[in-house]
Amino acid sequence: MSQWEVFVNELGELAEGRDLELTIRTLDPGIHKYTYKRAKVRVSKILEELPDQLQVRFGRGQLSPQRYSIEVLEEVQRMPAKYR
Amino acid sequence: MKPPRSNREFVEACLASGDAVRIQQQVDWENEAGAIVRRVCELAAPAPLMESIKDYPGFRYFGAPLSTYRRMAISMGLDPATSLPELGREYLKRTNGEPVAPVIVGRKDAPCKENVLKGADVDLCKLPVPLVHDGDGGRYVGTWHAVITKHPVRGDVNWGMYRQMMFDSRTMSGAVFPFSDLGKALNDYYLPRGETCPFATAIGLSPLAAMAACAPSPIPEPELVGMLAGEPARLVKCETNDLEVPADAEIILEGEILPDYKVEEGPFGEYTGYRTSPREFRITFRVNCITYRNNATMTISNMGVPQDEGQLLRSFSLGLELEKLLKSQGIPVTGVYMHPRSTHHMMIVGVKPTYAGIAMQIAQLAFGSKLGPWFHMVMVVDDQTDIYNWDEVYHAFCTRCNPERGIHVFRNTTGTALYPHATPHDRRYSIGSQVLFDCLWPVDWDRINDVPTLVSFRNVYPKEVQEKVLSNWVNYGFAPVAR
Ligand SMILES: Cc1cc2nc3c(=O)[nH]c(=O)nc-3n(C[C@H](O)[C@H](O)[C@H](O)COP(=O)(O)O)c2cc1C
Repeated sequence: MSQWEVFVNELGELAEGRDLELTIRTLDPGIHKYTYKRAKVRVSKILEELPDQLQVRFGRGQLSPQRYSIEVLEEVQRMPAKYR
Repeated sequence: MKPPRSNREFVEACLASGDAVRIQQQVDWENEAGAIVRRVCELAAPAPLMESIKDYPGFRYFGAPLSTYRRMAISMGLDPATSLPELGREYLKRTNGEPVAPVIVGRKDAPCKENVLKGADVDLCKLPVPLVHDGDGGRYVGTWHAVITKHPVRGDVNWGMYRQMMFDSRTMSGAVFPFSDLGKALNDYYLPRGETCPFATAIGLSPLAAMAACAPSPIPEPELVGMLAGEPARLVKCETNDLEVPADAEIILEGEILPDYKVEEGPFGEYTGYRTSPREFRITFRVNCITYRNNATMTISNMGVPQDEGQLLRSFSLGLELEKLLKSQGIPVTGVYMHPRSTHHMMIVGVKPTYAGIAMQIAQLAFGSKLGPWFHMVMVVDDQTDIYNWDEVYHAFCTRCNPERGIHVFRNTTGTALYPHATPHDRRYSIGSQVLFDCLWPVDWDRINDVPTLVSFRNVYPKEVQEKVLSNWVNYGFAPVAR
């Protein structure tokens, strides 16, 4: 199980039951902890529903007490190919 | 004593004078190192040299490099006990001289080339990039560093300290404000043309190179370093672009600023003592090459409540650069001082009030200059008030600043996204507002009948009475007091 984190302005950005595109960072231990990727995901407030865990922070870094489970469906490449 | 030519020489000098401590037990890059540096800033404690970092054998941290005036004195090659006004005079003397051009050295004379990572080996996570504050938007690579670029047409070189967050293994994002030199070059040239802008980030600089990178001086920084140090800066060519970087720096990142792709940056603990500026899509840096010294030391500034080097050094150089500007206009200023605890928001200007409107002229020049977006209060006091003595300045403010005639608000000026008092809208668009507190007696008041007399020991007693009281002070039964 992996741990992820997302920054949002409000929890309404984390709609359940449909695909979302989010910028998430990994909280898994190791030297790559806190690096980001853009991904297509699904989230649920039922913590056992989806394979990974997601914690949420607001715009000035405050941690939300609301936790989610998350499934990372695929990585989304926004960076133009010429720079990759 | 010569100014230290590298971060290493500086660390040694600070250890020798008791202004740094060596931490040998292992420290975590995630929050712990940041928390140590934060506490050091809040206690004005010695700078920590952290010699063992979790996950990163062979690397070290040096935190809070210039968060005390003692360390600033050491950086200038002066006695650590040098007073603040003396440090200011020395800065003015050195930066009013002739520019000192840098010298270019070969790769073999450049310690920053001891290790080179290119191509698939490039991974910022191989460096001990710290999570400085819990809840920050990312691990910050650049907190005490210089982002080096060259103007594509004029060719002049800019070193600026613009914070840089690690987004992924090869990408960083940063807050480059539109009114900064780099912000102007990007908006004037690269972004409209859709061209990438080559950059290099130098981390673990000599303290005077760091001072130059965050000084608002019009002198190009490589020359400013030479003037401050009294000898040319040693630079070396980058591996992957035409820029030149300090040869003794601990870590160099080379790459390009992307004109057509942005990633999120922030939030981050800032010099105002808050996390204020919103998480935004900001300037994006793509890293192509990393070079570093053996046993590289990453420098960490931890901005927050006073006092950190952002506040200390920026107050110092903003105040002195304003003093130069005002003197260049012939204004009879006696000095300019920003208290670091104002988080460089209040300029205190001492002036001989020889003509009407002099405080307004000072404020207009200050707010209208390149320095202006970085502070929103100018307080003008007369030449009898000691600008370094907050008790005197505060007394002058509370007694001489007339609520109707002494307070002048400037609207729709340039601000920064970091102002805690600004509205969210104003932060997003760098819209500012500023205020002058004129604490001068009006020139049209009669000096004898209208201007109140300051009732102080120094001002109301004859010199011989003062001398008598001072010389008998202990005889009267009081404890001795420094005069
Ligand atoms: C620790 C520290 C961090 C800074 N971060 C930024 C930043 O992220 N963006 C910015 O525009 N200025 C930042 N500054 C202020 C600039 O370094 C300063 O304005 C400098 O003079 C830049 O030069 P320029 O305005 O001539 O480009 C920072 C200063 C310090 C001391």
